[in-house]
Amino acid sequence: MYTPRINWFLAVLYLLAAIGVFAAALLFPSFRSIAYAPVRELILPPPEPVVVSVLYSTEKEAWLNEVITDFEATNPTVDGHPVQIELEKMGSWEINAAVLDGTRQPVIVSPASSLQIAAMVDSSTVKFGNPIVNPADQTSCRPVVTTPLVLVAWKERADVLWGTQPGKSLWKDLHNTLIDPQGWAALNHPEWGYVKFGHSDPLKSNSGYMTTLLMTYGYYGKTSNLSASDILSNTEYQQWFLETESSIGTFEYSTGPLMEKMVVYGPSTFDIVAVYESTAIEQAENAVGRYGELRVYYPPALLWSDHPFCILSTDWVTPQQTEAATLFINYLTSEPAQQLALLKYGFRPVDAAIPLEQTGSPFDRYAANGFRADLSNLPDVEIPAGNVLNTLRDFWSRNVSR
Amino acid sequence: MKLKILSIFTILSLILSACSAVEQFIPGEQVIVSIAYGSEKKEWLEPLVEQFNEARNQTADGKTIVVEATAIGSIEAVRGILDGTLQPTVWSPASSIYIPVANAEWKKNHADDLVVGTPNDLVLSPVVIAMWRPMAQALGWPDKAIGWEDISLLAASEEGWAAYGYPEWGKFKFGHTHPAYSNSGITSIIAETYAGLGKQRGLTEADLQSPELIEFMTGVESSIIHYGTSTGFFAERMFERGPSYLSAAVIYENLIVAQETKRIGSTSSQVPVVAIYPKEGTFWTNNPYAVLNAPWVTPEQKEAAELFETFLLDKPQQLEALKYGFRPADPSIPLTAPLDAEHGVDVSQPQTILEIPSASVITGIENLWRTTKKPVDLIVVMDISGSMRGDKISTARSSLIQFVQKLDDRDRLRIDLFNDQITNLTPLTPIGDKRQQVVDSVSGIFEQNNTSLYDATLKAYQDLQAEGDPNHIRAIVVLSDGEDTVSVATLDEVIRQIQASEEEGGNAIKVFTIAFGDDADADILKQIAEPSGGKQYDSSTETIQKIYDEIATFF
Repeated sequence: MYTPRINWFLAVLYLLAAIGVFAAALLFPSFRSIAYAPVRELILPPPEPVVVSVLYSTEKEAWLNEVITDFEATNPTVDGHPVQIELEKMGSWEINAAVLDGTRQPVIVSPASSLQIAAMVDSSTVKFGNPIVNPADQTSCRPVVTTPLVLVAWKERADVLWGTQPGKSLWKDLHNTLIDPQGWAALNHPEWGYVKFGHSDPLKSNSGYMTTLLMTYGYYGKTSNLSASDILSNTEYQQWFLETESSIGTFEYSTGPLMEKMVVYGPSTFDIVAVYESTAIEQAENAVGRYGELRVYYPPALLWSDHPFCILSTDWVTPQQTEAATLFINYLTSEPAQQLALLKYGFRPVDAAIPLEQTGSPFDRYAANGFRADLSNLPDVEIPAGNVLNTLRDFWSRNVSR
Repeated sequence: MKLKILSIFTILSLILSACSAVEQFIPGEQVIVSIAYGSEKKEWLEPLVEQFNEARNQTADGKTIVVEATAIGSIEAVRGILDGTLQPTVWSPASSIYIPVANAEWKKNHADDLVVGTPNDLVLSPVVIAMWRPMAQALGWPDKAIGWEDISLLAASEEGWAAYGYPEWGKFKFGHTHPAYSNSGITSIIAETYAGLGKQRGLTEADLQSPELIEFMTGVESSIIHYGTSTGFFAERMFERGPSYLSAAVIYENLIVAQETKRIGSTSSQVPVVAIYPKEGTFWTNNPYAVLNAPWVTPEQKEAAELFETFLLDKPQQLEALKYGFRPADPSIPLTAPLDAEHGVDVSQPQTILEIPSASVITGIENLWRTTKKPVDLIVVMDISGSMRGDKISTARSSLIQFVQKLDDRDRLRIDLFNDQITNLTPLTPIGDKRQQVVDSVSGIFEQNNTSLYDATLKAYQDLQAEGDPNHIRAIVVLSDGEDTVSVATLDEVIRQIQASEEEGGNAIKVFTIAFGDDADADILKQIAEPSGGKQYDSSTETIQKIYDEIATFF
């Protein structure tokens, strides 16, 4: 006799609970998952996404595009709001300029190397009174994949120039060869013409800038403590530097096209180019059987393109965006993303547990072309302070830029 | 009733199918992309233009893209763009070498560059010296590296090929296109400049004063049989006329591959030709695709042009380029056949390139070349018979005046006028001394009486053989608007006379004939022009100026 009344009571209670859940889901998207899914999708408006805009450098475009699809497939959310990544590519130095002049307000910046982050610390302190990135905080600002700057040369010619490996005075030797009016004739190969070295435009492309910094360290024979006065006050250095740069015909706007030219035009146009190891890997297959053997050579001291992802600490980034950005960066350093970076795109993972020489890795496939997984015997150069980096850029811009 | 329904159904079906068939002929909204391109990539590009247009590709706004491509000398195109007579959406010269010069000239009247940034390369091919294989072998090819030094020695040698044990080949006959019109012409004279100075980079304007350089360039240029408007045309001539006409010419590697493909496929019976990669270094033609930063290019044309560019850079189109002897810009395509020794080329070459000089140095080299180039001894034979009255005589006069203005001071010019008589307007003397006087005289030409075409042509030919300097380019330009009516000489006599000089090959007097107007006998004029190595042109009052311009590129 009482059964129908109890049933009614339970039904009304259930209905009220459901309405409550749906109402709460409207106000707080994190309640959304409790709501009955088929009805939820029918009656609730989709929750507002948390948009994470990323200004990134072009070298990692292909990897990022692939990773984002995988990341979004994990349905990441912050407080029930789905995370949406918006990518915009730019030259590494252009990222700095766009953020500083206010034309872009991204959540994450990811230039090709920590050099630009160091420069941004300096420039943003000057502009805003405090730095908008904090490389000391590993949670908000850390490298996700790395690749060193290397020299790529035609083996036949490199053998004549420096044998199996360039010596410790690589940059000074290279300068002397480049400015020798006899060119290759001085090394008994007049048919090769003058010695042709290439790097990309330091004002537009990070690898070009890294080359000029390594050259400068090379001139001073040191790996740390580079100062602005080393660049501005030493006329002998300046002459040496400008002589090297004047031997270069054109500065390509980006690293990829420079390496592509090396492969397409062959040794007639470039004997040696300075590019990322990952860029060299990208073209290793194409170079086979084209113009002879192309090899990679590591400079005596290394500078890394470490692709930092840094969340900006400014008033345009909300706590939710920071949280979403952190999820994204965590995904980039997760095992599947790191494996993909290595196996398909030739980057070195930051995850030390992933072996570089595993089967199928480019370090395994192209070992005969000089690619080396273990570079522990070579020192890294120190990333100088932001003002030193900006000084070198300005010096190049005033004296070399065409 | 059933029949009626069936009939209506059939008629409706026919109407509907007709509509869909007709649809493709209804233009709708279109975006035209005009492309001015170097002629050497014609064989590859034209079929692709057709294929792209047939696919009726559309812009984001749904407008159908129509590509219109015109072959034109790379440098000639710059002049047209600068003076506004040519307004293409895209300029695709043979190489990037002249882009800085074009930008420098453009910026005299505009705020920005004409070509912004670095345009993508479409296809590549090195600039080479094409030489008949037996001749190359006589110089030591393939074991010995050959270069401009060897060309200069051969050019300067009085003995010619006899010095190499082949007197039957006669003098060394060399060719490159006109630097004011064509990319291979400008690259030839820059390469000559480097070779003359013994440099491979670092050219300065001061270098161009060197007496040794002037002597070197004059020496090489002395062996030129004639210049020409475009590289494609020049190669065609060389492969059509053979070793007696031209021993070697500066062209692009892909043209050699194309010729050898024809020879191997038995559609050409010429002796084999090979590519010589000058040992001093050379240049690449990279066929940049430059969407112009010009006021006449609209944003939607830019969008459409970029879509066509993407199409050209796609793998199937790049693979197609390989067939025509180009080195694809796509690095994933291996350099395989027909880029091989069988087709006269060596992909391990070139070993080195020459540095591209600055815009001001390139302009300086062009000026230097004008003083060292081979002069021309030229007789213009002009019909002034009664039928030339009206627009014909006035446009013939004005275009001849323009032509006279184009000649260099050292060129020697004679003008003969003919009706039933032959009148000499000016003798064969350097134009520099008499330019204004000639212009005044031409302005006063008027028409009357009959046509003695053969007498006038024969006289000019005989006189030029007697008076002309064999070390100059020798040429006759005959303009006629009708058939011969009163000559004593016959057509056969004229042709016999021209054929008698055949052993001179490329150095023989060249006769260019212009059939002016509908009444001119183009066939007769063709019979006169072709055996000489010259060319016959059909012309009207509208096109006469253009034809004179083209003839001027030979000198």
